[in-house]
Formats: sequence, C-alpha cells, structure tokens
Amino acid sequence: MSPAPTAPRAEKGDDPSLVVGVDVGGTHVKAGLVTATGDVLGLTRTDTSRSSEGLVDVVVGVVDGLLTAARGRQVVAVGVGAAGLVDHARGVVVLAPHLPWRDEPLRDRLEGRLRLPVVVDNDANAAARAEHRFGAGRGEPDLLLVTLGTGIGGAHLVDGRVQRGRHGLAGEYGHMTVVPDGRACPCGRRGCWEQYASGSVLGRAAEDLVRQGRPGTTMLRELCGGDAARLRGEHVTRAGLAGDPLAADLLAEVGRWLGHGLANLTSALDPGVVVVGGGVVAAGDLLLGPARRALAERLPGTGHRPVPPVRPALLGNTAGLVGAADLAREAGG
Amino acid sequence: MSLCLGVDIGGTKIAASAVAPDGTILARARRESPAQDADRIERTVADLVEELTAQVSGSGEQVVAVGVACAGFIDRHGESVVFAPNLAWRDEPVKAHLEALTGLPVTVENDANAAAWGEYRFGAGRGVHDLLLVTLGTGVGGGIVTDGHLVRGAHGFGAEVGHLRVVPDGLRCGCGNTGCWEMYASGSALVREARAVVAGGGAHAAYLAGLCGEDPEELDGVMVTEAARAGDPAAVEVLETVGRWTGEGLASLAAVLDPGCVVVGGGVSQAGDLVLRPAREAFARHLTGRGHRPTPPVVVAELGNDAGMVGAADLAARAVGAGPSGR
Ligand SMILES: [Zn+2]
Ligand SMILES: [Zn+2]
Repeated sequence: MSPAPTAPRAEKGDDPSLVVGVDVGGTHVKAGLVTATGDVLGLTRTDTSRSSEGLVDVVVGVVDGLLTAARGRQVVAVGVGAAGLVDHARGVVVLAPHLPWRDEPLRDRLEGRLRLPVVVDNDANAAARAEHRFGAGRGEPDLLLVTLGTGIGGAHLVDGRVQRGRHGLAGEYGHMTVVPDGRACPCGRRGCWEQYASGSVLGRAAEDLVRQGRPGTTMLRELCGGDAARLRGEHVTRAGLAGDPLAADLLAEVGRWLGHGLANLTSALDPGVVVVGGGVVAAGDLLLGPARRALAERLPGTGHRPVPPVRPALLGNTAGLVGAADLAREAGG
Repeated sequence: MSLCLGVDIGGTKIAASAVAPDGTILARARRESPAQDADRIERTVADLVEELTAQVSGSGEQVVAVGVACAGFIDRHGESVVFAPNLAWRDEPVKAHLEALTGLPVTVENDANAAAWGEYRFGAGRGVHDLLLVTLGTGVGGGIVTDGHLVRGAHGFGAEVGHLRVVPDGLRCGCGNTGCWEMYASGSALVREARAVVAGGGAHAAYLAGLCGEDPEELDGVMVTEAARAGDPAAVEVLETVGRWTGEGLASLAAVLDPGCVVVGGGVSQAGDLVLRPAREAFARHLTGRGHRPTPPVVVAELGNDAGMVGAADLAARAVGAGPSGR
C-alpha cells in the first residue's frame, strides 16, 4: 500500500520522537510511525501470516522497515493493537478468533527482537484511546467508543484511562441483552444487542428484503449485482446516501436499536461523548439521527441531565495503530 | 490516630460515624433528617460532626475530614448536590457550606457510589479492583469501581443502572419509560408480584394472604421473605423471578464492565440465597463467553446500611491523603 497521502503537520509541542504503531487484524497488519500529535508517517499494510511464528516475523519485519524509514528520527517505543483478548499488563495475546496466536507472550518476544519497549493492547482499546487523544472525542476523559461491524465492540475510558475489566474482557457491548428471548446470537445466547444494531444486521435485513423481491429494492439489488448474499451494511449505507428510501428505513431501524443500547451504556457509564465507529457510520445522520433521538428519549431524567453527543469516529481504520502507539508513548517509551 | 467521619443523609434520618483507617466504626450518632430544609440538613450534619469529634477526642483521636453520602446526583467535582430525590437540596454547594460550618475538608458522594467504595475497601469486594454493586430496594441503584476508581461519569450520573431497558415495551416505570430493570428486579417489583399472587386468590396464595390479613396492600417485602423461608412455594417463586431478572441485568452489565465481583445489597438481598441462587444461575446462563471466562462471584453486601457511611469516610480520607495508601 502507498504511504499515507497526508503530509505530516508541523508538530505542536516539542516532542519530535516517533512511536511505531501496529494494528494486527485478521487479514492485514497495518503499521506506521506515529508522532506525538497523532499524525501517521509511512503507513504500510502487509498480509498477515497463518502461523503464530510467522505472524511475529511479519510484525518484526514491518517494524524494522519503519525504523529504517524513520531515517535517524528517534523512535522510542512500539505499540501493538491486536484483534482479540489481550492481557495488557503481561503483554500477552490470550485468545484471538481471527489470529493464530494463543497465549502468545507478544510483548516479551517483540522486545527481545526489537530492543525497544513494547506495549500490547486490544485493538478496540487502542482505537478508543486514539479517538480520545486525537479524534472525535478529543480531550474528553469519559469516552465511549462503540464500533459497529460484524458485531458490536468498543471500549470506554473513565477519567482518561482505558478500562479493561478484571480479565481484559470489558467492552463486550454487543452481548448486552436488549430483547429477552430475542434473535439468536453466535455467542449461544438470545437477544444480544449486536443482533439488532451491527453492520451485519443491516446487510442481512437488506438481503432479506431483496430475496423477498420487495418493491423498492431496485437500488439495493443493483448494488449487489443481483446477488442478495453479497449485500453488506456498506451497500445499504451507499444506497441510503444516494437517497434510496428503503435503505434509509433500514438505517433508521438499526439507528433506533443503536440508540436504545447506547442509553443503557450511558446509564451505566455516563460518558461525556459517544463515538460510533465502523463502516456503516458513513451513513452519517441517516443512522446517527435516529440513534440520537432514541438515546435522548430513553435516558432517564432527560431534560434534567445532559445527553452525551453521539459523533462518528474520526480516525477510521488508522485508529487502532495510532492509539496503540499513543498507549506505548504514555507507558513511557 | 487520624479519623474520618462518614455521614449518610437520608430522607428520614441522618446517620454518622467515626471510621478508623481500616474501616472499623468507632463511634456512631444519628438524628432525624430535616429533609425539606436545605440549611437545616447542613446544620444537622455539622452538629453530628461536633458530637462525634467530642466523642472520639477523649481517646486522643483526631478527626481530619468528613465524607458525606446521599441519594442523588452529585456534580463530577464532588462539590454540589445537583438533585437529591429525598432532600430539599437543589444545586446545593454542600462541600463549601459544610466546610465553612465544620472547619474540616468535606467530600460529597452519591450514596450507592459510596457504598460500592465501602464494599470494595472493607466489605464483600475487598481487594477486587473491578467491582459492580447493585442495591435492590425501592428501585435499583448501582456503584461501579473500575481499576480501583469509582465511575462517577462525565456529569456525575454514572452507575445509574435502575433504568436500563431490559424489556422492550415492558412495564411502565415511574421515570416515564417502559421496561426499566427496576420494574423487574427491585423490592418494589417483589412486593408488586407478591400482591398480585394474593389478589389472584386460591390455595397457592393462602400463605401470603394469611400473613397480610387477606389485604394485598398490607403485604411487604419482609413478609414475602419470611413466607419463602417458611417454604411457601408462591413466595419462593416470586423471589426466584426477581432473582432471575437481577441475574439477567447483571449479565448485561458484566459484558460491559467485566467485573471481578458482583455485590448485591439493599433490602431484597436480605432474602439471601432465596434471591441470590436464581440470580447466580441466570447470571451464569446469560453471561457472554461463558465457558471461556471465569464467572464472577455474585455475593451479598457485607456492610449493610453502614456501607455508604464507611465508603464516604474512606473517600474523605483519600481526598486529604490520610487514607492507607492503596490503589
Ligand atoms: Zn451474543
Ligand atoms: Zn425507569
């Protein structure tokens, strides 16, 4: 992949050092050199490896490449965000459904090979940190990031610190029950929020309508080339933005469920800002408008209490690596 | 030794105590609550502070700070009580007023938050840095400790879990919404369900009907617990229902917070395993990722009505740097 198209801004403050940020996902390893102000230099994307050893090699290779690219600028640490359950304190990737790592002592292995301090965290935690420091929730110490994808993930910050829970499992927002005995969820339970408000739900709802040959599905059918099984949340977003009324209805329905779940999360956490990430957020107010209305309607004491703003995530798919780098910088790299 | 005072301000009484750094209560005092007079509440607290200070000074103890807890919304800086449902305080600068009256540093905290802190520091959740407390009373209250810090929220509204929506288009709640958790898992829900049993009549209702003299309105939560202890199947069933809803709601919160321990307090928790066993079962069943994660223990609060006082005193100690160093 080509380097980041954006030229680095002049850095505020006087910390010229860089931190390598790495985002290890199911298909690619994304990485870049991250400045103290959150700019990314030399963004790279590399295919992942199927073996545990191989994936460590990929990460080491990517970091080495960036160290060379830094051309003498001081690189002080490496931050890695991984899609999975991470024991942050020990730097171990415990379990990752889309990665070959199991109980992988990633921090120690990387530190041994890279001779730099390494911090390892869950990718959603890293993304929340990035939105808090440089994105849609900049400067807000109590932040909730909710990411709509296949399911619903995310992370929250309390008093400026990412909260991981007792076992590193906090932020499984998608599996809050919103409908007793509701739709079945792959987690084995029923009525989970992500069966009502995720990106995949949006795609599936569109797929159903197209299969049933409902009137008004012309645009959706065109977008998937007539193959309903190919419909994804992003197609619905695109159709909605192009003015398709049926797609707008689907987005509004998912938006309302999004708002109901956000009300529960807001009751528990009282965030100063809610940031919503994931591809479908490109639908903007078609999705977030109904979500905001449902949130305001549902929050107890509305009218007597502030309702947090609900904003689309700003940092897109570099949030993970930027946040991981920033966590590493904070850890004193 | 330096002591802190904890004060729990309720709608009917104000309870205060002198609390040692290890959470032990060394002296107690209480007064009727002049709940409808904002100034008199503050003067009463000042009186209690004076009384307790005098009590402990005999044994050479010095009071260094005061922690105050009450139901309601506290601004995030812990300076004012924005709104207290049972008290006349509205945007009341409680910290400044009480500091002026007592000459001591004062900390103000929401009562459920203070109770969660008390249970975390000295009670059922001792040493568990990620802890969720729920109190099942008239409503459902909550307090959250995460990584050793209280979740107060951006506006001081954190851990207000009673109105989580657990049933779409469910029962109508006093808050104006429907399907709120406290319509299913509170002491009020327990009594409502038990009254419905009595109103329904028949052999099934006989025991409960006997306890309340056939008048469902006379039935209260203590009677239901008593009936269940005596083995009345109808009362057992009502407690099971409330326990189940408690466990389901806790599972949703656990998905969000990943607590190491769940502490259940409030009047309903006095039914013990009659309500906690079904709660634990539902919690384990509804916890996401079960089998791949430890199921946190669900335990009864240990400090009872003292939790808020003790927690507030410890928070006050920390605020002045007099507490034992910890996380
Ligand atoms: Zn689920
Ligand atoms: Zn309610």
